[in-house]
Amino acid sequence: MDSLVTTYSRPAFEDEGYSSDEQQELIQAKPSLSLKFALPPMRNPSAFLRALTDDHANPNCPIKLAHGTTTLAFRFQGGIIVATDSRASAGDWIASQTVKKVIEINNCLLGTMAGGAADCQYWLAYLGMQCRLHELRHKRRISVAAASKILSNLVYSYKGMGLSMGTMCAGVTPQEGPALYYIDSEGTRLAGNLFCVGSGQTFAYGVLDAEYHYNLTEEEALELGSRSILAATHRDAFSGGFINLYHVKEDGWVKHGFRDTNPIFWKTKLEKGEFSNVTANL
Amino acid sequence: MPGFDFSNYNRNAALHAQGVPLPKATSTGTTIVGCIFDGGVVIAADTRATSGPIVADKNCEKLHYIAPQIWCAGAGTAADTEFTTAIISSNLELHALSTGRKPRVVTCMTMLKQHLFRYQGHIGAYLVVAGVDPTGVGLYTVHAHGSTDKLPYVTMGSGSLAAMAVFETQWKQKMTREDAVKLASDAIQAGIFNDLGSGSNVDVCVITEEKATLMRNYITPNQREVKQRGYKFKRGTTAVLNEKIITREEISKYVTLHELSSDDDVVVVEKMDIDA
Amino acid sequence: MASLFSSNPTLASNPSYLFSQAPHNLAAGNKEHGFYPYTDNGGSTLGITGNDFAIIAGDTRSTSGYSINTRYSPKVFRIGGDDETGEGAHIILSVVGYAADGTALKERLNAIVKMYKYQHGKKMTVKACAQRLATILYGKRFFPYYVTAILGGLDEDGKGALYSYDPVGSYEREQCRAAGAAASLIMPFLDNQVNFKNQYLPGTGVGHDLQARQTEPLPLHEVEQLVRDAFTSATERHIEVGDGLQMFVVTKGGIEEKYFPLKRD
Repeated sequence: MDSLVTTYSRPAFEDEGYSSDEQQELIQAKPSLSLKFALPPMRNPSAFLRALTDDHANPNCPIKLAHGTTTLAFRFQGGIIVATDSRASAGDWIASQTVKKVIEINNCLLGTMAGGAADCQYWLAYLGMQCRLHELRHKRRISVAAASKILSNLVYSYKGMGLSMGTMCAGVTPQEGPALYYIDSEGTRLAGNLFCVGSGQTFAYGVLDAEYHYNLTEEEALELGSRSILAATHRDAFSGGFINLYHVKEDGWVKHGFRDTNPIFWKTKLEKGEFSNVTANL
Repeated sequence: MPGFDFSNYNRNAALHAQGVPLPKATSTGTTIVGCIFDGGVVIAADTRATSGPIVADKNCEKLHYIAPQIWCAGAGTAADTEFTTAIISSNLELHALSTGRKPRVVTCMTMLKQHLFRYQGHIGAYLVVAGVDPTGVGLYTVHAHGSTDKLPYVTMGSGSLAAMAVFETQWKQKMTREDAVKLASDAIQAGIFNDLGSGSNVDVCVITEEKATLMRNYITPNQREVKQRGYKFKRGTTAVLNEKIITREEISKYVTLHELSSDDDVVVVEKMDIDA
Repeated sequence: MASLFSSNPTLASNPSYLFSQAPHNLAAGNKEHGFYPYTDNGGSTLGITGNDFAIIAGDTRSTSGYSINTRYSPKVFRIGGDDETGEGAHIILSVVGYAADGTALKERLNAIVKMYKYQHGKKMTVKACAQRLATILYGKRFFPYYVTAILGGLDEDGKGALYSYDPVGSYEREQCRAAGAAASLIMPFLDNQVNFKNQYLPGTGVGHDLQARQTEPLPLHEVEQLVRDAFTSATERHIEVGDGLQMFVVTKGGIEEKYFPLKRD
């Protein structure tokens, strides 16, 4: 009788944990979804994809994907500033001037978009999901280091398939304080104080490096972030539109507007006397 | 060394064998046709000019004058058809003057093919030559590489198949002038409506023993629709950062100004087609 | 003329060259043929939203090269309808690019939206549908649907909602969007007439003080006029646009379909 009971009943705790399959799924960085990505029936799918969609290698490629960007983020004594432009281009066509390139992963974590718009949007949304699952499983928020590593392991597993992303993860956690990571589709993952990413990165670095120091006040830091993006939108044809500005503080991030570059440019020029290369005089 | 340069011939053959496509013949969309009838010949053309998928000119002229009774319809590169017909027209005039005879359609066709063959297809002119001369009625096609055809009814351009379909079903021997004009314009309309490279209006030119009659915009089946809204902007809608006014006194330092008393003095050099 | 060249007997039968790279058959038994699964079927679509409506319109011409496949091949569809007529749908989708991919995408989204209703007992919101469409498109990231999609409907507050996509699923909610062959002709017109870009209010100042004209949601009848004018203009100047204009208007009363003939040349 006892043996019968033990055969047909299970210990009460058995339902609480995860099955071994589920356990496996949880620790896997790669989503099960990844197996369902459709591939063209060919020996070399990535070469096929490149021929069709890489407008850098082949300007006449038929499928143009959204690209081009300037994004930056830097750490300073008051937290982290994250700033981006808002232009998406497909070849020489401006696909949109109103892209939200800062992705709010949760109320303490931000991600930025550069490279393929769809790649960044999809995988950062996926990262947001993983971060939330981590929170539910471990009853505490994920560290920025761990979050960025989920993303970098993920893109690394797709290396050579044609993903294109250059993103930054910025956030604050009690254990790390303000933390900033750069992750790209090559597999790079770097912790640092200051990054600029995208086709306009050099222009942004030019302004940012010149004025940056760790002890910037909050107001100065916001202005510097905005001014660096402005410089990039001024010189890089693939950047423009609006300046999207965020400040990551101890108790989460704060949005500081999505403002049109054109009036900011003229204000900067007329009130501060900068951009003397531009003149409205006849 | 005189003659042609064939140094790239073997290379191109090898590249082609490896899968490199041959240079694509740029098909600049057009429908042009020609057909003979009892006592003359008629040629016709659509009036659309394109650059890629964009309509560059909605009402261009593809029927070119060569001689009083020889006309030419052109397809292919616009500049090439324009200049080739102009050159041949000029040379044919000189030829007529020096021989003291009316120019013949064969002569014109031969001059065209010799000119085009010399340039090995680089002059992208595809032409329908038609006319009436002392030997009778002439109708030819000339391809950019220099080959020619002599036929009772011909079509060329990207809409040639659509137009030829009409000829092949309806053409008859010894048609009247009216029937021929109707047939040619129907063929052009087949091109206009079924070929994306052709569009807008039908131009027709009828050549008989007596004279040539150009009927510009003989049929206009594609009139522009009236817009639903007006798009007039209030004065001052466009931002102006700075303006500078150049006075008459200032400009007269550099150029001579003439006073025009009334509108009658204004000379209209050429009138432009403007949409209503 | 190309045919004359390649049918040259001396060339075709006896190519007089000797290259090491001359076509040698691949070592392994499998021969891979050229694989080009995409065609551009031309045409254009456009969507505009207002306070309590969304409009998506598209021309009905389908082309390949210089030929017209058909003069009536709809590019705008009802999504989530009860039967094949689309009755009872609350979302509209337009697809332009490669028609076969467009049809496949529409069928797939339609099935998903219906299944959602059967499983959850309520209609899918446009917001949820928009996110789902992005996932579908991204699922074919490495073998994309060659389409530009626009999704429209009314959001939870009853306001007009419009989402535009790139071929692999990056998406954004917008006021207006043009897609397809004539997008570069229509979009600047929309920027100016819907978002009032480059329009200033006369007499509000001099030089830098001049005030830009602020955007305001347009009434339905004005938007309808703009859509018709956009398409008649695109038909004039783009060879792949024409034949017919199909327009879907979503309001709280349902989806209304309108059709206007366009020039057929």
